[in-house]
Amino acid sequence: MLLSHSVGNPVMRVISQSVVPRDITDEFTTAASKLRTGQLVKDEYFTLFEAVGALEIMDSKMDSGYLGPGQSDVQALEDDYDPTRELAPEQVIGIMDELLCHEMAWHMGHPLSQTLFTSLYLDELLWPVPKTIEEAHFCRPGSSMNKEEPGMAHLVLRAYCLALIKCCDFVHTRITAEYFYEEEDFVTQLYNRSLLSQFDHAYFRNLLDRAISWIDEQGDSVDAKLREAMKCRLVFRREFLLSLEQDLDIIQSRSTCHFSSCLSQLGPMTNSVSLGRPVPEAFSWKIQRKLASTVPPRPMVKISFEDALAHLKRLCQDAMDLLEVLDYRGPHNLKVAVWALLSRKPQPSVYIRSLLQSMIMKNVTVLGDVPLKQFLYDELAEIVLPSSILLQASKDETEMPSDPRFQIANHMDAFVKRFSQPFVDTFRSACLNRCRIRRTICHTIVDWDNLQMEAEDLDEQLRTLNNEPPLMLQNGDATYSYPLSSWAYHQKLNQFRLIIQLGFELSIYSPEELPGMYWYLSHICSTHLGHIDRIRTFIVATAKRNLAALAGEQRDAVERHAALQNTLRLLERLTTQIVAVDAFAISLHALYVLLARHNVLPTASGAQAYSSERLRYELRMKPFLQITLPELVPFDEFHREAMLEGDSDEIVLDRAAKAISEARKAWEATLAKGAFMRDSQGPGNPTAAIEEDWNQDVKNVMRACIGASLAIESVKKALATQGSSQDGRTPNPGHLQLQVSIPEMGSKARWHDWWIVPQVVLVSQT
Amino acid sequence: MDENHAFQYLESLIGQTLRLHATDTRIFVGTFKCTDSARNIILASTYEYRFPSPSAVRDAPTDAENQDAGIAAESPNVKVNMTSRFIGLVVVPGHHITKIELEETPQQSRVREVLKKS
Repeated sequence: MLLSHSVGNPVMRVISQSVVPRDITDEFTTAASKLRTGQLVKDEYFTLFEAVGALEIMDSKMDSGYLGPGQSDVQALEDDYDPTRELAPEQVIGIMDELLCHEMAWHMGHPLSQTLFTSLYLDELLWPVPKTIEEAHFCRPGSSMNKEEPGMAHLVLRAYCLALIKCCDFVHTRITAEYFYEEEDFVTQLYNRSLLSQFDHAYFRNLLDRAISWIDEQGDSVDAKLREAMKCRLVFRREFLLSLEQDLDIIQSRSTCHFSSCLSQLGPMTNSVSLGRPVPEAFSWKIQRKLASTVPPRPMVKISFEDALAHLKRLCQDAMDLLEVLDYRGPHNLKVAVWALLSRKPQPSVYIRSLLQSMIMKNVTVLGDVPLKQFLYDELAEIVLPSSILLQASKDETEMPSDPRFQIANHMDAFVKRFSQPFVDTFRSACLNRCRIRRTICHTIVDWDNLQMEAEDLDEQLRTLNNEPPLMLQNGDATYSYPLSSWAYHQKLNQFRLIIQLGFELSIYSPEELPGMYWYLSHICSTHLGHIDRIRTFIVATAKRNLAALAGEQRDAVERHAALQNTLRLLERLTTQIVAVDAFAISLHALYVLLARHNVLPTASGAQAYSSERLRYELRMKPFLQITLPELVPFDEFHREAMLEGDSDEIVLDRAAKAISEARKAWEATLAKGAFMRDSQGPGNPTAAIEEDWNQDVKNVMRACIGASLAIESVKKALATQGSSQDGRTPNPGHLQLQVSIPEMGSKARWHDWWIVPQVVLVSQT
Repeated sequence: MDENHAFQYLESLIGQTLRLHATDTRIFVGTFKCTDSARNIILASTYEYRFPSPSAVRDAPTDAENQDAGIAAESPNVKVNMTSRFIGLVVVPGHHITKIELEETPQQSRVREVLKKS
């Protein structure tokens, strides 16, 4: 899925000493001239398609090494800038701030060649590749000033630059270790330079400390404000270096002190920006002609200091809040926390997302200390198997192969082997960029369909081993709980819902599709609710059986009781949330049907368009075509249901109004329950920041609910006006006095990404 | 050299390493992939070599230990490496090519000589 290290080329071309070049200019030219126009001599495996990707030499737009007429080598490559010259403090500040902008632009996904590697100072430090840290300085070989002079440039700026490179090294290492999308999220290309990875971070820290004390020693020879400005930048760099160096160690240290000291330096840095004097000649895009690069030359990326600082601030804040995710309190809570953090706007940066991926799973361990098997068992216990023999059977305790418990353990081990990775991936995939999350789920949902079938087989075998008592249906049939496949189905239905809702977020559906898609969302929700009811029925039956034992005050019965109650509470919580989604979807569905029916809903496709409702439906159902359960809704049925054929406007309006008031109640109930499942005796409120995100999210949905109520009111009024003006005759479609617009993502009227509430305005008749 | 012959000759060079000298003195070394009647040449896995800048030549005597094998630009007393970098797949337009060289091992050139005589 990721990173093409296509240019992972050797540092040097390997040439055997014995190679002799032979001049073949004349032979070649004569031979080529004999070719007919258009005739090619080529490698048989070399395609024209590949040829299109070749860089044209001597073309200024394609050839990064091209020197235009009149540009001499000296001008073009050396840029006439002497990095050994002494700088004024104002200039040092200016260069540091410019570098920070470039660094953040790189974090945002621009290549190094257009950002940091445009700095002549960094170029000087990194090329030729330094063998020792002392070798990396601004007066490289041959310069008359080989001895390092203490000073602004050589001490302060050099320390800052080297530490900055090391910071980039940490970021680069973390991101490339995880799933990300090259060029979409991040550009890993280093152009055959090294980011000083071989040197320990302590070197850089010492350099910064030395620079800081040097500034302190300067006393009054440097203006106090300038001293402070340089100092806060160096301190920031030191703290940032230490924060990034900490990386996954945060799992053990549980400390965010370095990130929080970074944050505290941002204020002084912002205040002193104006003190800096830019040195534009210290940056040049022309350095690209020295970089090993298979792409055409590209301009320097410029972002403002405000944008850079905003990005940095969010990065530090997100990194600190990651700590809250680390408190493991069950898979359900973890999922809520991960989604809440990653749904922040703007989405946390790729570094944060990579870090979180590693935290979620590294070395078959979740969050650094929960074994993968335990993680999966916790999830099963939470939802389908509270205090079940299936999860307690262990081969360590039962060694007799004929013992059913031994066999249960065997089956469960197979289950863990097969399911743990896909399960953890449902968490890790949330760390991708938003488009990729949806795409990934569209792929994995098919796997989950297969997993569900495999789980069903396992369920049948396990059922005979643990003598599960059947539940009698009213018609006398016996039915079993099928816990593992029930759980897999529950996962799959979650993914269905995500695919649809992320579709709204990513503006995939055109306005004319909204009635159908909200209908489909409610259809999935009601399927899911039915499924949860089924799970609940079995848990309740187990609880009833346990009551007898509970009356006998057996200790394990009390424990079982607590576990069962916990599961029932979680099922209740899930039900409340899905009911809330369902009700809101029903209401929006009805509202959109009315708008479509009266031709006031905007459409994206013109009258002549090839697209039709049937084709669009086919397209939207594509991810679900291979899914066996829930079954695909045939188009005709979909059309009937989604258009509410046969229901009068009054009925549809009534449906919308009733559903929206139910939705509001259900969302209020959801909010009241809070983001996380809590142990009754558990600690207070360790996840303040993420919980706040979650609360805000629910509140935004509730705002969208209110918006929808208002829209329904407007439609009601318009319908009433129309009815009265026509003396009760059949309404004439197309004459509803309404103006409808669909708020875009990010606009103010779009209260929530997943809920597209139309803006409906009554147009007064003139 | 008739047309058939010309075609065969060029085809025999496919996959070999060529050194193309360009009008701006840069040299491109890569695997020969394709050419046409205008002598446009496509090279794969190409390295660009550039003559060292005047300042590098000026500084070279004080930094004499910094030597490596490779293609070197000769000056009276010092050797300075040409700077090189990887640039991948390139097409060099025919009219910008001043010289074409074929990299051969001594064995290859001997075989060629023998074939020529026969």
